[in-house]
Amino acid sequence: MTLTDSGERRRGSDARPVISDLIDEATVESIAQEAWISLVGEEEILVPLPGGPVTDPVSSWVDVVGPWTGSVVLTTGRRTAEELTRALLREHSPEVLEDEDVVDAFGEIANVVGGNVKAALPGSSGLSLPDVGEAPALRNPADLCRIELQWRGEPLSISVQGALPALPAVP
Amino acid sequence: MKILIADDSRVMRQIVIRTLRQAGFDDHDIVEAEDGADAYAKVGSEKPDLVLSDWNMPNMTGIECLQALRSAGSTVPFGFVTSEGSPEMREKAANAGALFLIAKPFNEDTFQEALSGVIA
Amino acid sequence: MRALVIDDSRAMRRIVSGILEGLGYETQQAGHGREGLDALEGLAADQLPDLVCVDWNMPVMDGLQFVSAVRSNPGWRSMTIMMVTSESEHTQIVRALAAGAHEYVIKPFTADAIRDKLALLGLLPQEAVL
Repeated sequence: MTLTDSGERRRGSDARPVISDLIDEATVESIAQEAWISLVGEEEILVPLPGGPVTDPVSSWVDVVGPWTGSVVLTTGRRTAEELTRALLREHSPEVLEDEDVVDAFGEIANVVGGNVKAALPGSSGLSLPDVGEAPALRNPADLCRIELQWRGEPLSISVQGALPALPAVP
Repeated sequence: MKILIADDSRVMRQIVIRTLRQAGFDDHDIVEAEDGADAYAKVGSEKPDLVLSDWNMPNMTGIECLQALRSAGSTVPFGFVTSEGSPEMREKAANAGALFLIAKPFNEDTFQEALSGVIA
Repeated sequence: MRALVIDDSRAMRRIVSGILEGLGYETQQAGHGREGLDALEGLAADQLPDLVCVDWNMPVMDGLQFVSAVRSNPGWRSMTIMMVTSESEHTQIVRALAAGAHEYVIKPFTADAIRDKLALLGLLPQEAVL
């Protein structure tokens, strides 16, 4: 028998969307701005301009699993992550920050940004608990929505990145 | 009035406490719990008048905690403060007996609106 | 085409193998990640399965450890790994994908769900394409 494509299969391949089909940079930015105002402080503005390379990077992320599967990853310098932690803790900020404080605070920002990205995606998805460390590897450069920002003059990026590798090209 | 705040993030518990204060609910006793299982135990031992709980937590999630409380006969007023405010989660929360769901990010106005009928 | 099905539940292994055989696969089974690696050891490149379906939660060696072990062997890059996970742990699946798995399905799944995923991956045996 010859191979024919009923079209059903082609619709099937549409069933795996990439992130740019679902959300745009402006939406991710406005989610981040709102999270900053609420968590970091009323006067805390994220400037939507690339801030250059990050020194001593640290990332926090949550995973979204559903019709689209991937991670919402915030990356900034360790010093900036510490400053963010102090901003969140305000008067409870200890003299010496422990790693645990940074993991908690920076992870919580990823949780709020990721939770709102998840809510903006179609269908129902699950959300993982936050993780902090070295960012998960980029699996598919075509499945990425990334914004670069500055907070208090320091670079910070947000990547909404797919966890599945690109599909093989149709022969 | 005693309020139990359940969140695995200490930072988030502090932000919730701060926002309660900013919303004018400042003269209440606060008890903290670091996951759903801890919250479940503390509802029993601390007898709070209100529980404000995160949804996604290790050990026992907020919704599992609420379901466990209700199936054990507890009628403690319970509201969620969570980073996920989708319609199906709101429905799930309401079906389980939650009074409200506050989505993060929130501010003192959100708290006032959700809590004014609950806290005297 | 060949598939290796790794799950500690015999019933689950049979269900997944049955679906794959229905699509035209030859299948082989293993009860946990270590057994899966043992089955792969010593196979020539043209004897390797095209597809490995691996459960997340297993004794001895779980799905995540299995994926990491497979990815650390350059001779095994040709295999496509599909994770099988339950609803309760599905939000952890991205960790396995980041470690090198290619796809996932959430239990309970239908034969059509597996078929659709394999079609996307270009892994349907020809007889099943129609």
